[in-house]
Amino acid sequence: MIKNVVLQTTHFFYEKKITKSIFYLQDSYNMFEMDGEGKWNAAYIPFIVPFTIGQFLQDDHEITIEELEMRYTTSVTKGLTSRMASEVLERDGPNELLPPKGTPEYIKFARQLAGGLQCLMWVAAVICFIAFGIEFSRGTLGCFDDLYLAITLITVVVVTGCFGYYQEFKSTNIIASFKNLVPQVKIWKYRKCMVISVCILGQLEANLGLYLGGCWESEPQSKTPECTHENPLETKNIAFFSTTCLEGVATGTVINTGDRTIIGRIASLASGVGNEKTPIAIEIEHFVDIIAGLAIFFGFTFFVVAMFIGYAFLEAMIFFMAIVVAYVPEGLLATVTVCLSLTAKRLARKNCVVKNLEAVETLGSTSVICSDKTGTLTQNRMTVAHLWFDNVIHAADTTEDQSGQSFDQSSETWRSLARVAALCNRAIFKPNQESLPIPSRIVVGDASETALLKFTELTIGNTMEYRERFKKVVEVPFNSTNKFQVIHELEDPLDLRYLLVMKGAPERILERCSTILIKGQELPLDEQWREAFQTAYMDLGGLGERVLGFCHIYMNEKEFPRGYKFESEEMNFPTSGLCFAGLISMIDPPRATVPDAVMKCRTAGIRVVMVTGDHPITARAIAANVGIISEGSETIEDIAARKRIPVEQVNKRDARACVINGGQLKDMSSEELDEALRSHPEMVFARTSPQQKLIIVESCQRLGSIVAVTGDGVNDSPALKKADIGIAMGIAGSDAAKNAADMILLDDNFASIVTGVEQGRLIFDNLKKSIAYTLTKNIPELTPYLIYITVSVPLPLGCITILFIELATDIFPSVSLAYEKAESDIMHLKPRNPRKDRLVNEALAVYSYFQIGAIQSFAGFTDYFTAMAQEGWYPLLCVGLRSQWENVHLQDLQDSYGQEWTYAQRLYQEYTCYTVFFVSIEICQISDVLIRKTRRLSVFQQGFFRNKVLVSAIVFQLLLGNLLCYCPGMPNIFNFMPIRVQWWFVPVPYGILIFVYDEIRKLGVRRYPGSWWDQELYY
Amino acid sequence: MAKDAEKSTWKDFIWNPRTREFCGRTASSWGLILLFYLVFYIFLAGMFCLTMYVMLQTLDDHKPTWQDRLGTPGMMIRPRGESMEIIYNPQMTESWDMYAKTLDNFLSPYNNSLQAEKNDECKPDQYFVQADSGDVKNNPKRSCQFNRTLLEVCSGLEDRTYGYVDGKPCIIIKLNRVIGMLPGTDGQAPFVTCGAKKEDSEKIGELAYYPKNGTFNLMYYPYYGKKAQVNYSQPLVAIKFLNITLNEDVNIECRIISNSIPPGSERDKFAGKVSFKLRINT
Repeated sequence: MIKNVVLQTTHFFYEKKITKSIFYLQDSYNMFEMDGEGKWNAAYIPFIVPFTIGQFLQDDHEITIEELEMRYTTSVTKGLTSRMASEVLERDGPNELLPPKGTPEYIKFARQLAGGLQCLMWVAAVICFIAFGIEFSRGTLGCFDDLYLAITLITVVVVTGCFGYYQEFKSTNIIASFKNLVPQVKIWKYRKCMVISVCILGQLEANLGLYLGGCWESEPQSKTPECTHENPLETKNIAFFSTTCLEGVATGTVINTGDRTIIGRIASLASGVGNEKTPIAIEIEHFVDIIAGLAIFFGFTFFVVAMFIGYAFLEAMIFFMAIVVAYVPEGLLATVTVCLSLTAKRLARKNCVVKNLEAVETLGSTSVICSDKTGTLTQNRMTVAHLWFDNVIHAADTTEDQSGQSFDQSSETWRSLARVAALCNRAIFKPNQESLPIPSRIVVGDASETALLKFTELTIGNTMEYRERFKKVVEVPFNSTNKFQVIHELEDPLDLRYLLVMKGAPERILERCSTILIKGQELPLDEQWREAFQTAYMDLGGLGERVLGFCHIYMNEKEFPRGYKFESEEMNFPTSGLCFAGLISMIDPPRATVPDAVMKCRTAGIRVVMVTGDHPITARAIAANVGIISEGSETIEDIAARKRIPVEQVNKRDARACVINGGQLKDMSSEELDEALRSHPEMVFARTSPQQKLIIVESCQRLGSIVAVTGDGVNDSPALKKADIGIAMGIAGSDAAKNAADMILLDDNFASIVTGVEQGRLIFDNLKKSIAYTLTKNIPELTPYLIYITVSVPLPLGCITILFIELATDIFPSVSLAYEKAESDIMHLKPRNPRKDRLVNEALAVYSYFQIGAIQSFAGFTDYFTAMAQEGWYPLLCVGLRSQWENVHLQDLQDSYGQEWTYAQRLYQEYTCYTVFFVSIEICQISDVLIRKTRRLSVFQQGFFRNKVLVSAIVFQLLLGNLLCYCPGMPNIFNFMPIRVQWWFVPVPYGILIFVYDEIRKLGVRRYPGSWWDQELYY
Repeated sequence: MAKDAEKSTWKDFIWNPRTREFCGRTASSWGLILLFYLVFYIFLAGMFCLTMYVMLQTLDDHKPTWQDRLGTPGMMIRPRGESMEIIYNPQMTESWDMYAKTLDNFLSPYNNSLQAEKNDECKPDQYFVQADSGDVKNNPKRSCQFNRTLLEVCSGLEDRTYGYVDGKPCIIIKLNRVIGMLPGTDGQAPFVTCGAKKEDSEKIGELAYYPKNGTFNLMYYPYYGKKAQVNYSQPLVAIKFLNITLNEDVNIECRIISNSIPPGSERDKFAGKVSFKLRINT
């Protein structure tokens, strides 16, 4: 059992990266091993420490080691006694995350089977069973239809239920992923290589960096034994559960375990943040409620009417069931799901992996994107951006593929500066990467040295070899004044001078210089040059860049002859009077595609808010660079500076942009934050802790926005969960973030989000079309029953046939609409307002039901009466014929010609009618799918055959229709009859009518926008 | 509070006095949309009527366009009883009286006098074809006499009870009318044969057929439809059960034997055959 973890090895910066080390628990019960990738595998870490709920950590990080030992009754050197350890284990339980008490799985599944539509279908199935039972006992011919129908209905409900359950299961097993973060170690509070406190934790995240410790940030963080901050989350002497140690050694005392760790809290917070319903789920629910309501209303009305007309109770119940089956769009949920998955697949090819299907559409409704900076907007690698030498600021090429312009490298000063940069640098390339382009090679070293190394490699060539030519004599590493110096022998064996090169914070470097290199000439560093330096330094700093100064000196060979013993401790060599070579500034540059993407968001009415842990100036510079803060936008501070008035006097509304840092944010009430978000369209949050992201997301949501949030760290997961759509980074993201997210960006690129938005909007449009298509046929399915009940004609369309339309022939065409191209530039429209722009609006329903649906009904009845009349039953004879027609004992019913029909002959005639009505609906639906290609443009403008899938769907629909009609055996199984070929053509005029009418509608809508026609008929 | 607000929005939706809107539309808006739908549906109804009219014009008055379902004509018995069951007790007049009445009614058009008045005597054993010459319809068409007396003891003329009273009931069988059907080739007339279902074969006893052999004479075919052949008399066959077992259910199946009528589908129990149950109690 462990209490203290002792990590042994060397000290931490810069030595070597640990590839394999083993450390022992003091009581040697357990051994932890760190594998080559820097992850800790722990067998078991039980724990210590009670924790007050609601408080992140106690003041463990602030107290002394002795106090800590007292508090946990432990010893930093010996750890807990075994007895004590088992007591603690008993009290606190094992070190693992407990899943929250969830709804039992079977209840979740049951819920899927008990939605509005599902309940209706259950009722319908039960009625079918009852009807089957009664008819079977009477030995009625055709009673098995009821049985099939009941079974089909139940199958539909169960299959869609399983599907829904699977979807839900996939998106809610988030806690399981937290559990996978098996305790993997770490905590440190150092004091002289000895850990004082705290331990918890885990997998070190991601693949970055070298420092010991690590946090949940994607950037590695160094840890030290000193308490550096009162906030336990900020202090450097605590290592957290789930972080990964990348390099270094430490010992620590465990202070929390399991659910009491920060990640435990985050896990419970993340699973506690209710699964917000996605906008599309709300839409569909809204619409399903209406449909279910209408189905019951129609069903009940006709039940009453039927009873009133004098039908038996059982018959009236069967009518009720039939109306429900006819009116409920059984295939709709499947269609929606398939459409969404198709888009999800398409997105996956564009580097967005969607975990929760509904998120696809949510992305399209997004009105605010809260984006991280590092890695998402930027390339996530420090790159040399500017140089200042010869009193000119030169811009370096920061593009990812080095396609940009380079600067003038002919100056002598440049050569000196490059030499300092190359020599005064400890970073090295990992071996065997010669085949990789320089920017993507892996470097061992910190971020700015890495940047310098790559820069010199790109500009002067092989840096490694270059360094070998200048043999290193001594080096003085970075110290508190942030400088670094090295002394080298010169390249030329005849020149016996030593060269001292130094880099560091520019002002410190300048202090040590007395001359400056200008065009290769050493000039005295007078006031004029100092001022020039200041200006350049300020300019570069203002760009948010990290600036380093470089200088060198050739040491007098007499004073420092070959073999001189340089002492790095005593500094027995000159450290002033040096020659200033220049400044190099670095930044993590924006990704090339980001400015365009931000611009697209802007035109698409989407606000991009940057939320970063970086310094406000850097944040702002990048924001301005990528267009989050547009040209000419000013912050309150800018206005104050321009007008030379105090910040308080500036009218806040004048400032479009606003940069808020984490400190300010902490002091703001939620109203103030809402106000700030409302009044400044361009927002940047800097120096924010990941927890504050959640606050920002909530604020945006209070303002009615649909918020997309990007995140990578474990502690981003509550914000990702809270957001309407959480987007995790695929490369830098932690598993926890990926699990909390709805979507994963494989390339971490902001531009991919914009692609996602575009696809999301497209699918919303296309879903509208699909649904309109799907709904239309419910009317021609319903009217046969209404006419059957009220006018008593032989039944024109049976329930099983309806199910074939809903679940077989029409599925493919409705799905194919998902492949339709956008009609207009959807990225130039505002995001939809979830409260106003409904998926299924009144115009859509009315147009589908009462216009196109009505035409289809007429087509069906025309074909029905034709088939009846041609077989001998004139339309007027049909009226009121029902009771005789369905009389099982009447075997010689006379038709209009005096011929006599048996019951079975009439039944097959009825099946012929079903088939004919089915064919009519199919023919009209072909026309319908063509008109649904567009809502505004003419189909001719959109192109008939451009959507290949749709064309094949029509062919498929026809083939399937033919198969159903002409496959032997169909009459007795599914009530389809091989019908006469002519009857396929009867509905064609109505199909043409639908097409022409819709073209007229679209023409009106295009010609007279805003007119009555447009308002009533545009959906 | 919230409830009040909700209530008022509901009320507002139904009738909003401020905007004078009823269900979200003003009177003129309603007027316009209703007018639109009126025109729309009138147009649709018009189109429907037109297509119906055109379709009806294409129909022949005398022969349906297709007779896909009627390949095998159905058969039916009279009296039909409740769901093809004839159960009675000879001692109780009221239990069979309605059967006799049914037959009286059914056979009244076949009275010799009526037949003689309306129909022709035809040449037996051959089809009575009355072809149209080209476009000139040979209408109305004549029909052949089927005299009630052909049924002999089952005609109800001598025995008004059709044998019911002495436990030797008559059942009349008819073949459903199908326009243009020719029920036999080579001058072979179709005939009816009845038998009991397997387990009842002992119980059925002897049968007598009228006209003899239970044939439907070919001269009654083809049928030209009720419009052209107004007085068509459907040929009948009567069967008389001479010594059926009493007090037991006897399931009987009669079928038509013809060299041109295809056997009906398995699922249609009345195509080319008819089954019924007969039980005479004592």
